[in-house]
Amino acid sequence: MSERSRNIASVAFIAVMAVALILITSTRPATVDRVEQIGTRIKCPVCQGESIANSPSQMAEDMMDLVAERVSAGVPDQEIVDELLGSYTGAVLLDPPASGATLVLWLTPLAVMVLGIAVILWWRRHPGSGEAGEPASPGRSRTRLAIGGVVLVLAFASIVVVAANSLQDRPAAAAGAAAIDEQDLSEVSNETMEAVIAANADDPQVNGMRLALAERYFDAGDYRSAFPHYLVVAEDPNATDAQAITSLVRLGWMAYAGNGEVETATRLIDEALAIDSESSVARYVRARVVWCGTGDTQQAIETFDDLLADPDVATETRAQIEADLELARGGRECP
Amino acid sequence: MPMTGRVLRWTGLAVVGVTVVLAVVLASRFGSDPGLVDSPLIGQPAPEFTLAGLDGSEGTSLADLRGDIVVVNFFASWCLECRDEHDDLVAASESFADQDVTFVQVAYQEEAAESLEYLGEAGASETTRYLADPGSRTAIAYGVFGIPETFFIDPEGTVVGKIIGEADALILGATIDSIRSGGQPGQKVTGDTQQRPDP
Repeated sequence: MSERSRNIASVAFIAVMAVALILITSTRPATVDRVEQIGTRIKCPVCQGESIANSPSQMAEDMMDLVAERVSAGVPDQEIVDELLGSYTGAVLLDPPASGATLVLWLTPLAVMVLGIAVILWWRRHPGSGEAGEPASPGRSRTRLAIGGVVLVLAFASIVVVAANSLQDRPAAAAGAAAIDEQDLSEVSNETMEAVIAANADDPQVNGMRLALAERYFDAGDYRSAFPHYLVVAEDPNATDAQAITSLVRLGWMAYAGNGEVETATRLIDEALAIDSESSVARYVRARVVWCGTGDTQQAIETFDDLLADPDVATETRAQIEADLELARGGRECP
Repeated sequence: MPMTGRVLRWTGLAVVGVTVVLAVVLASRFGSDPGLVDSPLIGQPAPEFTLAGLDGSEGTSLADLRGDIVVVNFFASWCLECRDEHDDLVAASESFADQDVTFVQVAYQEEAAESLEYLGEAGASETTRYLADPGSRTAIAYGVFGIPETFFIDPEGTVVGKIIGEADALILGATIDSIRSGGQPGQKVTGDTQQRPDP
């Protein structure tokens, strides 16, 4: 074969190969291939560094099914990937995007390669450099030692930081009832408190929230909602004395104010006084129940006087007692 | 040439330094949990779904719940954290039931019969909708990495909050309170999540 023929044959062979390559690369991959291709780009969100195409996990299988469904529906590849990115962010891309913070990952190898080429070129133009150096002086050795030391210290410090970050636990779950006492309840809705109380019904720590909620209902005149909470605290053997007294006194007042049951009211308040006979709130409310329920003004006046003589009575309660005492002494009906 | 030698040595040191820094930066990512990335759904329209009840009952469509705050929780019987938060979800669901708040619990990678059996033991709430998610389509649309995960959707249909890990009644209620007052509570991580154990 002449040289000309060989050249023609070579050119023809290259042309055929080029056309074949163009055809292969331009032909749309089969559906199954496309699914596989997209699957290899997507990281399985519940696995360690595996693509959904290679992971045996249920989640990966489900995601592959989704990809297959989208491919069958004729959705373009990038749209399918974007759909998953819309739910999972770039965390599901095996190849990080060449943009933003991950750009450095793509550029670093390139930069290192350019640097390497530059060093080789420099070396070739200056053969023998760096080899014919004179013996290192003690000063230069110290400098090298210092630089090496700094690099080591930096590396060690970085490793310590990384280790500390890795060991950092996730934030502990809010500890339900244990967190209740520390919570500022002023911005917590009644529904939230009801939910917390219902979910921690057997936990004595919830009594504080239960009483706070009951007081809200009581202040709003919603005795029906307040009643069950006061009752639970009053019957809870783990409730503190103060909680039990508050609950019994409130129950007593509601029995009188809500249903006109004077006897029940005084019995409940007497239970509170059995816990602490000096309880000023219990004594005051009992006096009011007797005054308002039976018209026994004299007994009320005596109790009011006693309470006003007690220096431990809170200023707010004292003002109320003084107002009631004035009315009682004037022979007026209880308000 | 001493000058060239120095350049080479400094170049070598620079390469070593950059390599160390790069290795440390990359290594630092090994310990991090990809499931803790901020959900791209926060502030976005919630992915729509129409799912049948676990008992095969009529489907629930998210679009039909527009106007309510919707709490979407992904759970399964094999998830310990889900069991821990169950009572709180029930309590919150019932507490907010008449406040235009709807709780939806979607079974995650589990047969409906297994979920129903679990709910039978743990006690289902009458105010919560328990839904099946065949093929995990809804879980994928919500970008679920592990369970429990709980999403909060405001009355306009925007995802405004997400809890990763166990939710208690206080967090659920506080998040709902925040949404009711026009806030966007965002994402909170309260604890671990679980993947489906190998069969």
